[in-house]
Amino acid sequence: MKRFRTILSFELRGYFTNKVFVAVTVVLVIAIAAVLFFPRAAALVTDIFGDDSADGTEEGDGSDEINRDELPLMLVSAPDDIEPAVVGSFSSAFPDYNVKSADDIDAAKKSVSDGDAECAFALDSLLSFTYYSTKESFFDVNPSVAQDVLRSLYTVSAMTSAGISPEEAESILSAEIECETVTLGESNGGDFVATLIYTYIMVYALYIVILVYGQMVATSVASEKSSRAMELLVTSTDPVSMMFGKVFAACIAGLSQIAAVFGTALLCFKVNESFWVENELIRSVFDMPTSLFFYMLLFFLLGFLVFAFMFGAIGSTVSKLEELNTASMPIVMLFVIGLLVVVFAMSTGDTDSLIMRICSYIPFTSPMAMFTRIAMGSVPAYEIAISVSILAASVFLIGYVSAKIYRMGVLLYGTPPKPSAIIKALRRA
Amino acid sequence: MKLEFCEIKKSFGEKLVLDGVSFSAESGSAFGLLGRNGAGKTTSIRILMNVFPADGGQILLDGAPIDYKKVGFGYLPEERGLYPKKKIFDQLVYFAELHGMKKQDAASSVDKWLVRLGMSEYRDKRLDTLSKGNQQKIQLVTALAHDPDIVILDEPFSGLDPVNARLLKDVVREVICNGRLVIFSSHQMNYIEEFCDAIAILHGGNVVLSGDLGEIKHSYPRNRLTVRSRELEKLRAALPSDVTFESDGDGVSATLTLPSPDRKAELMSALTRSFDIDEIAVKEPSLNDIFVEYAS
Repeated sequence: MKRFRTILSFELRGYFTNKVFVAVTVVLVIAIAAVLFFPRAAALVTDIFGDDSADGTEEGDGSDEINRDELPLMLVSAPDDIEPAVVGSFSSAFPDYNVKSADDIDAAKKSVSDGDAECAFALDSLLSFTYYSTKESFFDVNPSVAQDVLRSLYTVSAMTSAGISPEEAESILSAEIECETVTLGESNGGDFVATLIYTYIMVYALYIVILVYGQMVATSVASEKSSRAMELLVTSTDPVSMMFGKVFAACIAGLSQIAAVFGTALLCFKVNESFWVENELIRSVFDMPTSLFFYMLLFFLLGFLVFAFMFGAIGSTVSKLEELNTASMPIVMLFVIGLLVVVFAMSTGDTDSLIMRICSYIPFTSPMAMFTRIAMGSVPAYEIAISVSILAASVFLIGYVSAKIYRMGVLLYGTPPKPSAIIKALRRA
Repeated sequence: MKLEFCEIKKSFGEKLVLDGVSFSAESGSAFGLLGRNGAGKTTSIRILMNVFPADGGQILLDGAPIDYKKVGFGYLPEERGLYPKKKIFDQLVYFAELHGMKKQDAASSVDKWLVRLGMSEYRDKRLDTLSKGNQQKIQLVTALAHDPDIVILDEPFSGLDPVNARLLKDVVREVICNGRLVIFSSHQMNYIEEFCDAIAILHGGNVVLSGDLGEIKHSYPRNRLTVRSRELEKLRAALPSDVTFESDGDGVSATLTLPSPDRKAELMSALTRSFDIDEIAVKEPSLNDIFVEYAS
C-alpha cells in the first residue's frame, strides 16, 4: 500500500478536473437550490400580483363574485323543498365550480349540451339523482362527492325528523375520533409516512450513487486497460494500492458530490424554512434523525466500497470499453435484486421479514436492507454490529481479491473471459 | 550487477510457455532477448518485473533473489499506452512517483528528460494531441525518469523516424554507460547487433542459444570470405576449383566458400596480390542469419 496516497491524489485530481463531473455537480446544486427557493419566488410573484388584486378589491366590491363567475358552471335541479339546502351544500363541496340552481331538468341538460354549463345534477329526492356531463372521464369524481353530500343531508334530515335538532345532528355527524400511533421499540420519532418517504429517498440515493460511481470505477479501469496504460501501472506499483487508491478516490469524489448537493439542499431549506412549513413531506426529509443520517453515511461508504471493488475487478477483465456493460451486468443484477427486495418489503410494511433479515447480513444487499430496517423499525444493536462487521470484512476481502483480478487482468485480452477463467487466473496468481 | 534467470518455468493452463529458461545479463551492457512471436519474451519480462510469479526456477540479482523494494525497473512495453486525455507532464510525474520518487524530484527529472528528448514544448499538452513517434518518446520518459537499475525496452525503435531513432540510440548508449542493465527485446536485428553484447534466443519455451554475441559469431565456421572488387569476373576465373563463388548480386561483391578455414589466409593474400581488391574479410554470420537458424 506504499503508493496509495500518490494514486489517490492522482485519481482525485482526475475527478475534480473532469469537466463532466464538475458540470453535473453544478447543475444538480443549481436544480436543488431552484426547487427549494421556488416557494419563496412564487410568494414574491404572488405578492406583486396580490397587491394589484388588493387594489381591485378596494376599488369595487364583488371581486369574489367575479372570480366565482369565472369558474365552470354546475347546475342543480331539485324539488323546491330541498333545492336551497342542496345548492348550499354543493357550493361548499365543489369549490371549483360555480353552483347554481336550474329552472328545470331540460334547461339544465340543454345548458350542458350547449357547453354553457360543464355538468348538471337532476335530483328526484335526496336519495336519487342523475348526473349530466359532456365529458366521460375516469377522474370525474363529482358523482361520488355528490353522493357523500346527499347522504349527509339525508342523515341530517332523517335525524331532524326523529326529533333531534339540526345542531345536535351536526355535532353527532362531525364527531372526530382521536387516534395516536405509537411505534414500540426504537422509534425514530417521525410518523410512518414521513419515515417511509425519506427511507425511500435514501435507499434510492444509495442505489443511484453506488451504481453511478461503481460504473465510474469500472470505466476508469477499463479505459486504462484499453489504452494499455495498465501494462505500465501493474509493473510500476502493487495492485492492492492501485485498486484501493482508485476506489477510495471514487468514494471521496462521490461523497463530495453528495455533500455539495445535500449541503446546498439543507442550506436552501434552512433559508426558506418558513415557506415549507405546510409541506410535511419536505419537512420530514430535512427533519430526519441525525443517527439515521450517520447510518446512511456508514452504509453508503461500506456498500459503495464493496461494489466499487467488484466494478473495478470487472473493468480489468474487459479489453474494450464497449464490453463493459455486458461484463458488469451480473453485479448490476445483484444490486437490483437487493433494491427490489427492499422496495417490496417497504411497500408491504414488513421490513423485518425473514428475507429482509437474511438480506441485512449479505454484504451485497445489507447496505440497503439493514438501513431500511433501521429506518423503518427497531433493530437490536447487536444485529447492526454484526451486519456492519460482515460488510467491513467483506470490503477488505473483496478489495484484496479484486486487486488480484486486476493484476491478472493485464493478461486477459481478446474475448471477455468467463467467470471460470477468472477463477483459474486467480489461482495461478 | 548480474542478473540470472535460472530454470524459469511458466505455464498458462495447459500451455507451457517457459520450460526452464536460463540466461544471464550484466550491467553496463545491453542484453538482447530474442525470439519469434509467442516465444515467451513478454512472459519472461513480466516474471522478471514480478507481475506474476514463475511456476519454478528463480531469478537472481548478484546471486540473491531480487528485492523488489530496492531494485528499480524501467519498462517500455511493446504495446505502448499512457493516459491519452491527461496532460503529459502530470502523468509522467505520476509514473515517476509510482516508482518511489518524491514529487519534486520526479518533476525535475521529467523536465530534464523532456528537454533531452526535445519534447519540452509538449509538456502541458494532452498525450493524444501528439504524433505516434512523439508519443513513443514520451513513453520512453516513463521508463527512464526514475533512474531505474534495470531498463527493459520492448521494441524501442518501432515507429521512430531515422532522426528520432538516432536520438534514442544516443539515449540508450548513455543509459548503458551509466552502468544500468539494459534488456532489449526486438525483432529489428540490426539494432540488437548494434547495441547488445550478449543475447539469448527463446524458442518453444527454451533458450536455444545464449552468450556473448561476438563469441557466438566467432564460433561459426570461418571458411567464408566476403570480397569486394571491380575485377570480380577475372577473380572468379582465377579461383581454385574447390572454392565456391557466389555473387551478392551487385556486380562488385561476392562470397567465397572454402572447403576448410585452413587456407583462408593464403587465399586472401593471393587475391590481394593479384587483383585490385577494395575489401576482403572473413564473413561472419549476421544476427539475422543466426536468429533464422535457431528460431525457425
